Amino acid sequence: MSRLELVNIGKRFGDQTAVRDFSLTIDDGELVSFLGPSGCGKTTTLRITAGFEAPDTGAVVVDGRNITDLPANKRGMGMVFQGYALFPNMTARENIEFGLAVRHRPNGERQTKVAELLELFGLAHVGKSYPHQMSGGQQQRVALARAVAVQPGVLLLDEPLSAVDAKVREELRTEIRRMVTQLRITTILVTHDQSEALSISDRVVVMNRGAIEEVGTPGQIYAEPASAFTAGFIGAMNEIAVRVVSGAQGVVERGGKRVTAPGAVGLPEGGPALLLVRPELLEPLGDGAVLNGDLTVKGRVEVQTFLGATTRLLIRELPGSGGAAASTAARPLAVDVPSASAGRWPTGSELAVRIPVGSSRVIADPSARAAAPE
Amino acid sequence: MNAEAAEEALEALTASRLEARRTARRRSGTPPWTIVVLGLSAVYFLVPLYATAVFALSTGKAFSLQPLFDGFGDPGFQASLQLSLTYSIVTTVLALAVVAPTAYVVELRYPQLRSTIEFLSVLPFVVPPIIMAVGLGEVYGINSPIDLIANDQLAPILLYGGYFVLTLPFVFRAIDNALRAVDVRVLTEASSSLGASPIRTFLQVIVPSISLGLVSAALLAFTTAMGEFTLAALLGYPTFPVFLLNENGYEPRIGSALVLVSFLITWAGVIALAAIARRTPGTQIVRGGPM
Repeated sequence: MSRLELVNIGKRFGDQTAVRDFSLTIDDGELVSFLGPSGCGKTTTLRITAGFEAPDTGAVVVDGRNITDLPANKRGMGMVFQGYALFPNMTARENIEFGLAVRHRPNGERQTKVAELLELFGLAHVGKSYPHQMSGGQQQRVALARAVAVQPGVLLLDEPLSAVDAKVREELRTEIRRMVTQLRITTILVTHDQSEALSISDRVVVMNRGAIEEVGTPGQIYAEPASAFTAGFIGAMNEIAVRVVSGAQGVVERGGKRVTAPGAVGLPEGGPALLLVRPELLEPLGDGAVLNGDLTVKGRVEVQTFLGATTRLLIRELPGSGGAAASTAARPLAVDVPSASAGRWPTGSELAVRIPVGSSRVIADPSARAAAPE
Repeated sequence: MNAEAAEEALEALTASRLEARRTARRRSGTPPWTIVVLGLSAVYFLVPLYATAVFALSTGKAFSLQPLFDGFGDPGFQASLQLSLTYSIVTTVLALAVVAPTAYVVELRYPQLRSTIEFLSVLPFVVPPIIMAVGLGEVYGINSPIDLIANDQLAPILLYGGYFVLTLPFVFRAIDNALRAVDVRVLTEASSSLGASPIRTFLQVIVPSISLGLVSAALLAFTTAMGEFTLAALLGYPTFPVFLLNENGYEPRIGSALVLVSFLITWAGVIALAAIARRTPGTQIVRGGPM
């Protein structure tokens, strides 16, 4: 229920830069995830927002008011911690009631609110239990209920699902999304789990080495990652090495074959580049299929991994099939096929795979770029 | 009222925690040497107690509680016991009120100061009470620059201060251990994110979470002050231990009977502590994950 702005946040611990130049505006009622590997600065940014760390530079602004110097207990934000952080000496009910008691709400109102939240989170039967008598999922529900009981303007979730098991995690994920929508609380979710971030966020902020790598909707981040880092971090992604023939017209070349790739427009001519293709977009070709325009890779199925509805084939490129493609030689190509038809390509069989160049993203090869100054 | 009693109290405190482990051990059978050690310890502790009881209450032919009643009737008994109880209670409250917030703030904000505080807290082990008594007497005693003893209103302050220092090693350690067993930082952050002030957080979240540590610290402080003899005797305070020693000189049987009483008081404290320890809810350790 608040608009949150983080303006040029910077924070160092000793000679380690934890966060640099972090700017982001989160709208009223929006759920934004900070996603990145450990040490990328996502938790530090969250703690700065909460008031547990002071930024070296920048400002935290809520509804136009600069609260950078306001102590945590005066910010009116709710927070859920990784390890629940329930008060061990209080029952579930007392934990949820704590924030209301601090605000001197009348007793009747407190009881009504607590009962409502216990019901909402399916905790009615554990109201009188102490944290150590509850399961991990129940504890985390209590932590969520406790954080929203005070109707915070901003809700901060610090890896809230990392300590619960897979099934409960999925349930809670849905519950968090439902709760945020229902209560319209501006929410930040810190996570290193991409499926968590993609499944419940309005927007995802991908972080790397203390800085924002990319911001976008889950769909954008998944389908059109702007950087190799995002592409590699989110989901499985094939990187197929090509050479840019024409940056002006978007033509790339692989194994002597030239094809038009709109994604390559603007890349330096003659330079190495990577075609980024999701496994589900690669298409195994039937025998004798006619190849028109698109690139193909010939290879042998090394491993089949059953994923449920789909099966992933890891395909090792055959020598001479597509040219001197070092990156595909090092990493097998992942291709997802419907499990029902996976029997057509048993381990060890050979096949050709069509690469949909026309709709693929192309980026300059970061391993080549790393050598040049940024 | 002595160090052994205090140690036993701590033992009683941890006893319930160790129950599970004991059950496991029982399953694999109690090793014989455990029984031997326990038996020897029992003999070591119980024989003096028994001897004291026999000496105090038996005339050789008959058993009599008369020495006990004589002791209770002595005006010095009541006055000294009252004085010792007052000193012990004030010392206990003072020690907890000073050490608990200090240890909390150190744990939360200044962890680098912890080793310094720990060193300061064990100084009473390095400086024996006799040295302390002489030192305090030099500075605050009669005819000294700041004469506290001559002034009836101010005199207690000297002993409160002395006892506070003497109880520091036990009190700091008990509280510090309790603080380190809970995730003080995460609990504090959780509380403050819910709007609680630092004082409220300390009183309503931290104190109940470390209540077992506080109870054992209180018991250690209380028994230390209750049984303290050197400072009281040398600085001239007629406390219960001082009275006991004098009584032993004049009326050994009455003195011994009163020693039994003092033992009973200590044990009442230990039992009360064990009861509190068993009834304290939610003593599970709560930890946050890596940040």
